[in-house]
Amino acid sequence: MQEDQKINQTQVIGPWKMTWIHFKKKKTAVAGLIIFAILVLGSTFAPFLTPYSLETIDKTARNQPPSWEHWLGTDNLGRDYFTRILYGGRVSLKVGLFAVIISIVLGVIIGGIAGYYGGWVDNVLMRFTEIVMSFPFLPLAITISAVVGAEMPGEYKMYITMFIIGLLSWPGLARIIRGQILSLREQEFMLAATALGLSDRRKIFRHLIPNTLGYVIVYATLGMASAILSESSLSFLGLGVVPPTPTWGNLVLNARDTHILTTRPWLWIPPGLCIFLAVISINLIGDGLRDAVDPKSHR
Amino acid sequence: MSKHLLEVKDLKTYFYTDKGVVKAVDGVDFHIDAGKTLGIVGESGCGKSITSMSVMRLIQKPGKIESGEILYQGKNLLELSEDQMRSIRGNEISMIFQEPMTSLNPVFTIGYQISEALMLHQKLSKKEAREKAIEMLNLVQIPRAEKIVDEYPHQLSGGMRQRVMIAMALSCMPKILIADEPTTALDVTIQAQILNLMNDLKQRLNTAIMLITHDLGVVAEMADYVVVMYAGKVVEEGPVKELFANPKHPYTIGLLKSKPNLHEERERLDSIPGMVPNPIDLPKGCYFHPRCKYATDECRQGQPELKELNPKHKVSCFVASREVQK
Amino acid sequence: MIKYILKRILHLIPVIFIISICIFGIVKLTPGNPIGSNLDPRATAEEKAAERARLGYDKPIHIQYIEWMKRSIRGDFGESYLYKRPVNKVISEVIWNSFILNVVVFILAFLISIPIGIISAVKQYSKTDSFWTLFSLFGISMPSFFFGLLLIFGFSVKLKWFPINGMINPGSTTTGFARVLEVGHHMVLPAIVLTISSLASLVRYTRNGMLDVLNQDYIRTARSKGLSEKVVIYKHAFRNALIPLVTLLGFQIPGLFSGAVILESIFVWPGIGRVMVDAINQRDYNLMLALMMFFSILTLLGNLLADIGYALVDPRVKVDER
Repeated sequence: MQEDQKINQTQVIGPWKMTWIHFKKKKTAVAGLIIFAILVLGSTFAPFLTPYSLETIDKTARNQPPSWEHWLGTDNLGRDYFTRILYGGRVSLKVGLFAVIISIVLGVIIGGIAGYYGGWVDNVLMRFTEIVMSFPFLPLAITISAVVGAEMPGEYKMYITMFIIGLLSWPGLARIIRGQILSLREQEFMLAATALGLSDRRKIFRHLIPNTLGYVIVYATLGMASAILSESSLSFLGLGVVPPTPTWGNLVLNARDTHILTTRPWLWIPPGLCIFLAVISINLIGDGLRDAVDPKSHR
Repeated sequence: MSKHLLEVKDLKTYFYTDKGVVKAVDGVDFHIDAGKTLGIVGESGCGKSITSMSVMRLIQKPGKIESGEILYQGKNLLELSEDQMRSIRGNEISMIFQEPMTSLNPVFTIGYQISEALMLHQKLSKKEAREKAIEMLNLVQIPRAEKIVDEYPHQLSGGMRQRVMIAMALSCMPKILIADEPTTALDVTIQAQILNLMNDLKQRLNTAIMLITHDLGVVAEMADYVVVMYAGKVVEEGPVKELFANPKHPYTIGLLKSKPNLHEERERLDSIPGMVPNPIDLPKGCYFHPRCKYATDECRQGQPELKELNPKHKVSCFVASREVQK
Repeated sequence: MIKYILKRILHLIPVIFIISICIFGIVKLTPGNPIGSNLDPRATAEEKAAERARLGYDKPIHIQYIEWMKRSIRGDFGESYLYKRPVNKVISEVIWNSFILNVVVFILAFLISIPIGIISAVKQYSKTDSFWTLFSLFGISMPSFFFGLLLIFGFSVKLKWFPINGMINPGSTTTGFARVLEVGHHMVLPAIVLTISSLASLVRYTRNGMLDVLNQDYIRTARSKGLSEKVVIYKHAFRNALIPLVTLLGFQIPGLFSGAVILESIFVWPGIGRVMVDAINQRDYNLMLALMMFFSILTLLGNLLADIGYALVDPRVKVDER
């Protein structure tokens, strides 16, 4: 009898915990998490990590190379560069995060409705998606930035950039969500939900969409990486966030000046590295999540 | 020269996973004679599929054939080079699988997939192979073979695809056909057709069949000789009639009793209590003892061996062996 | 199949119209006055008005749109105020510069990535696989402009192996083979940047496609027929993994004609991307409109080619829809 009980016992672990366990196993994913955490913490606690503020100008110490007082030297106005990089991280990461949130919200809603209702709703929404997808990203982003941003003061540029990237990136996710919902819709748990008399809205938002969360999370991480790259590219072209607000992208912009490129590498290499590290760490996390969520990839 | 067409001796195939060693096949012996059907029966996870894959030497990492002998016409297949083994696969020993829906390559035509083995092993030209492919399709009773030969797998139903698989497997007239649960994924009516087809072809081409299944009804109909497996070991074997009339191992008895009988009126079905053991965490002693109502101390301590009860009927059980001695 | 293609093209037409309206609207909203450069800054109000009339900017916006549409369909995209030449000429002059760079990158990227992707998948979890997976990761995470700058810093400035920028040496008058060499020399660095980022995603794509396929039942069937491992992988497996690859290829082909905006900027490569950025910054309306439409149509074409390619390689796709 005791043997019987031993045979029939199984341990129940919820899906979130399972995902975390698998995630932890992958060393690269954990490494990514650590690197990303460092970047985020560095940016968030910027005021505590540097004695200077963004605006502190020391006219006597302009264009200095790295030293003990100024870890990464100073720029042409005498501002401490390390500080600028730390604060720059705030902007780059924030823009990345919010842009991806915007695109997720749009993508999930549009994809969800299209997939659920099918028929002409699906047709119209998918045509719309196709049109947005056909716009060349960079040229359009640049143009919108030029159009909208010309009149705006510098601080708002950050939000504009967020919106531009978010508004142009949702189609990819919308298509995936729509495809998922189309196939999930036919499964039996949806029939059960209908039999219980649930409203459309409830079915879409409480039953279908949670089942697509796996894709959404993976997309979120990869989308954020892509958003950070986009922001840095736009800022590098001078069309995203502009000085005096620092972002990693516009800090690398310094290198456009060949003189700075060759003689003061400490100005443009660190912010570029930060972008690289941020993107690669997010990608590692995203890969780790994807493998953790997908049962097929477990050895 | 061995008198059997295929003789498997003490085959051991283990899988080395992160969580431990899985002894999928743990010392299995059996034989197949020319033109006869051997049925291998057992629940999911007992090792029967791995056994068949081992015979074909299709075991991939992290699995490995640890030890044992697989004698085909006297030659040990485990000692052959990969090249030599490849000339046997599809040619002298063929295999068909459980899932006809996914076992055919979606981007090649039916004709091409059948022709491939013919061109490779029999050295036929493209034209000759195509002719033979049509011949085979006719043999497995696929209508309009001339047209089907140029169609793609997705255009056929499950039953048709399984017939194509059979045609493909038999195209080079192999001496042994390994059929791993060939009808499990099909409707009952189609199942009967496929089984009849297999029997028919077996007689015509004198092919031996190694039929793997968990369905006792299929075994009763098709097999000449039966091997019952549990947790990687053979627990009982014998001629089909003898086994069904006179099962000796508690597991076999349980299996036969749990089949619903049309002529009996019952309120509850018999079942074997408990579950198949976790292959990484096998019980000490006889693997079946936790679920066995006849289990004795001896069963809890040691591993029983296959003993002959009467000619050709062997059992691996302490209790059953003792009974015979009485 | 022909019917399918025609049907798709027919569907594209309304989409192109809608895109053109959006683009026209956005461009026209761009503040900045392009008429300025044709005139003397001290031009009188009447002269300015006359210039506006000449360019048609005094008419209501929907009329402007219709006029523009009518001209564009005929192939007349107006004159670029930035380059003082017809837009068509401007585009046709620079597009080949982008094209040659893109073609080289395209060929290199595909030739290298496909075998690597296949081998990576076959030898999953091996050192080779780990290396290339990491490499891919680096490739897609590295911002292209940063990588370009690093290369310039390392190879042009420090090592002086390659020119810092441009497509040809300033004032060069080489022709024929010498010219080809010169362009090639300048092309090395930008080509490396573009190839590596392309490679990175292609290798991943191929590898994932192959992995999915290698786990399929029909691969087991192929092996059980006694086929050699080479045949199993390169014929049975790859032919299936080709399906998603072909759709990717479909997108890449029209892309050959577009330009990497940022990279052309850094390397001062006189391609169509650079022209685009300049047009936007300088508010050259005609050029902007033409280029944006051009790029959009390229994307739509890419979609179409991808779908056609898909239908060609996957026999399961039904193309003859009633």
